[in-house]
Amino acid sequence: MSARDSILATLRRNSPPPADHPLPEPAVLGEADASPERFSASLLQMGGTMLDRQQGATLDQAIALRFPKPGLMIRSLVPEATGTVRIADLPTPQAAEPVDVTIVRAAFGIAETGSIFLSEAQLHLNAIAHLTQHMVVLLDPAQITANMHTAYLRPEFHTARYGVLMSGPSATADIQGVLIRGAQGVRSLTVCFAPE
Amino acid sequence: MGMKIGLFVPCYIDAFYPGVGIATLELLERLGQDVTYPTEQTCCGQPMTNAGCVSDSAAAEALFVKLFSGFDAIVMPSGSCTHHVRSHFDAIEQTDAVRHVRANTYELVEFLHDVLKVRDFPWAEFPHTVGLHNSCSSLRALRTASMSELGEPAFSKPMTLLSGVKGIRFATPARPDECCGFGGTFSVTEEAVSARMGLDKVRDHFHAGAEYIVSADSSCMMHQQGCAERNRVDIRFIHIAEILNGARQ
Amino acid sequence: MKEKPVNHAAAAVAFIADKPHLDFHDARLWDMRQKRDAQMHLLPEWQDLRSRASAIKEHALANLADYLEEFERNAKSNGIHVHWAADGADHNRIVGEILEARGAKTLIKSKSMVTEECDLRPYLAARGVTVTETDLGERIQQLDDQLPSHIVVPSVHKLTSDVARIFARSYGTDPNADDPHQLAEAQRLAARPVILHADAGMTGGNFFVAETGTFVVCTNEGNADLSATVPGVHIATIGIERVVPRMADLGVFIRLLSRSALGSPITQYTSHFRGPQDGSEMHVVLVDNGRSARLGMADFWTSLKCIRCGACMNTCPVYRRSGGLSYGAVYSGPIGAIIDPTFNERKYSTLPYASTMNGSCTNVCPVKINIHEQLYKWRQVLVEHHQMPFVKREIMHMAGKLMGQPKLYRAAINGTETALSTLPRFALYNWLNPWGKNRELPAPVKETFHSWYRRNRPTAGRATPETVKTETKA
Repeated sequence: MSARDSILATLRRNSPPPADHPLPEPAVLGEADASPERFSASLLQMGGTMLDRQQGATLDQAIALRFPKPGLMIRSLVPEATGTVRIADLPTPQAAEPVDVTIVRAAFGIAETGSIFLSEAQLHLNAIAHLTQHMVVLLDPAQITANMHTAYLRPEFHTARYGVLMSGPSATADIQGVLIRGAQGVRSLTVCFAPE
Repeated sequence: MGMKIGLFVPCYIDAFYPGVGIATLELLERLGQDVTYPTEQTCCGQPMTNAGCVSDSAAAEALFVKLFSGFDAIVMPSGSCTHHVRSHFDAIEQTDAVRHVRANTYELVEFLHDVLKVRDFPWAEFPHTVGLHNSCSSLRALRTASMSELGEPAFSKPMTLLSGVKGIRFATPARPDECCGFGGTFSVTEEAVSARMGLDKVRDHFHAGAEYIVSADSSCMMHQQGCAERNRVDIRFIHIAEILNGARQ
Repeated sequence: MKEKPVNHAAAAVAFIADKPHLDFHDARLWDMRQKRDAQMHLLPEWQDLRSRASAIKEHALANLADYLEEFERNAKSNGIHVHWAADGADHNRIVGEILEARGAKTLIKSKSMVTEECDLRPYLAARGVTVTETDLGERIQQLDDQLPSHIVVPSVHKLTSDVARIFARSYGTDPNADDPHQLAEAQRLAARPVILHADAGMTGGNFFVAETGTFVVCTNEGNADLSATVPGVHIATIGIERVVPRMADLGVFIRLLSRSALGSPITQYTSHFRGPQDGSEMHVVLVDNGRSARLGMADFWTSLKCIRCGACMNTCPVYRRSGGLSYGAVYSGPIGAIIDPTFNERKYSTLPYASTMNGSCTNVCPVKINIHEQLYKWRQVLVEHHQMPFVKREIMHMAGKLMGQPKLYRAAINGTETALSTLPRFALYNWLNPWGKNRELPAPVKETFHSWYRRNRPTAGRATPETVKTETKA
């Protein structure tokens, strides 16, 4: 018997009575507030940043103020920003690794946790979400969902092959409990509300 | 009331803390109860069962049922023994007598709070700052107080009773629900961890300003007192029955 | 030769002797517990979430074979290769074959307790594959050749100075550098080139969804996503018990996981893998390794609900004062003490006794595993299976007999020789001896309560039979 068949046979033999353990109906619990304000507060708690956009300034100008160091390699995956390199020139993770700032649009955000959802549809090359040093994420306030329960009703979870909820920058507290933002993935994650 | 009460005095209280047994008896008598201490009693069987040796508890449990099944209520100044009788009295056949004993055994605080519903102890005065220690059996098995892990509305039966004592003040330790590390045979098989937990516990109360640690469980306090004395932590210990019975110190 | 049981108590003595490490370890884990409490207080629906999580898990376990087949069907149709491993050896062979077929010599991986169970790294090392852990804590443990001491924070028993020493040895950094930020940066810089040039990547999986064939990985550092997305081959090792029926069920678990573990609302990364990208390969290895047998253990099967948040460890006063390594097992703390004996009953026979059974673990468990009740039950099983040390077993036996004989018992309490001569005195005293090592004994008293009562209530309490016949269950 294959490992598969023997595992399944043992499970069927040993299983507690299924009738004693019915599946609860899916739950939508908790706070239903899907406001941008709640999203921003949650994002800040997770170590993320909201982009400060002064009246009339373009997205490029706001990003330049956020990342003032000259000579940064900036790659834009959105029409609203220009960047300094073309996506087509960075076809592999190895080629994309030197990028400093990546600008991308999230499919949606979650107010409860300040999370943004990215998939291959937004990223083109999934690894760039993690190799880039910094990330700027455009989020349509209309695409904020209240909480994790409502989030999992979104269609993206049934279509994306890779879908990541990023909630602030990468972080670790593995050395003597000291919280460090920017562990292995992005050092910072900045969200900018931008209707699509 | 007309209730016949059987008093069980746990083995370590009998041998090391007779004053706790006396206070329990006197307090119940003071409250007008008809209390008898069956003199042939030994132990509830908890040490053997908690070690996993369930069959070795059978003799103790059988004796307990024999001595106490004729009472309307069985009261004991110990949360862990009460928990054993109520929840783990499984070594013997579950006769009507066993079921009666299991259903009618109370830890002293529960009995005062829930059955007699006493709130005032006009004879008692204790002008000291005390830190309350709930044993894990009292707290998480008997549920005589709210548990910090669950975020439930705060309540504390021992605190409610003590609040009926004149002059008493409470100190709040940083980790009120943390186990003190007694754990029965754990105190010898895991001596190092047990003693460290005990020391941390008494220090927590001491730093919170407690002059006394008060508890419904003498076993926890026997352990804590041993740790405090060895490490010269200046704190005293008193059973809740002694305070409620009007002990002056 | 019989395997020796883990000596948790002895390892704890050494752990406690090192005050700086002990103090940090206790404070750090207690802080995690406090942060967990703070998150709980923010959600009025917390207990509802726990009940639902428990019910979903119990349902999934009671129908596990069906859900595994459903997952396999959906994952395969999404282009994921699904493998089944009966045990650790099976798992390692499968992973080895995937790597060998692609000529892969370097593997980057994120933390996975199942691969620790299977002891994957030595297996691959012997076959010429270089394995690099990318989680910071796990990498520290790999470089120090130790098991993770905690399932969420693997190196929580170490101080910055320990990490500086380990990194100096392996990365050539300054051994006296004691800034955690610098050390974390050193890891980032050391890991990047390894990640960029790895032949294959490996992750664990926190959940997998039968309905969609998706598996979910929750991390904070971003290393799992790097391991999964940079190389062209992604292998995920997952225990078969991690299935949830529907995508909609994930909301319940994601809301509980990081709040219970670290006291943060969510992990920084919650990644959903439903299929490979074009030109890449994705493999899932479903690992049994004793789980299907555990499902048949009436008192212990619910331990399979565990989502590996580590909350029981953080709250456990024994774990905080003995450290994860003292358990001598892949899984430590309360959850370890109830699942380790299913892997090796003799070796881990001591672990259910490394507990005061205080019950805090059960209260914090997000999937409502009755951990302390299982510890209690394990002790009975171990005694039945003759895994209790002889002296302790004899003492319990003698004590049990004595407690059924009022006269003999009373004589023993009064300290008369007739009673004590019936006991193995030497053994008893030796066994009780540790009490006095760090504690005083209670002060002697003038008279017992019993004797006081007979003097002060001379007519009461005697109307009881002399001896009692022991009635034991058949």
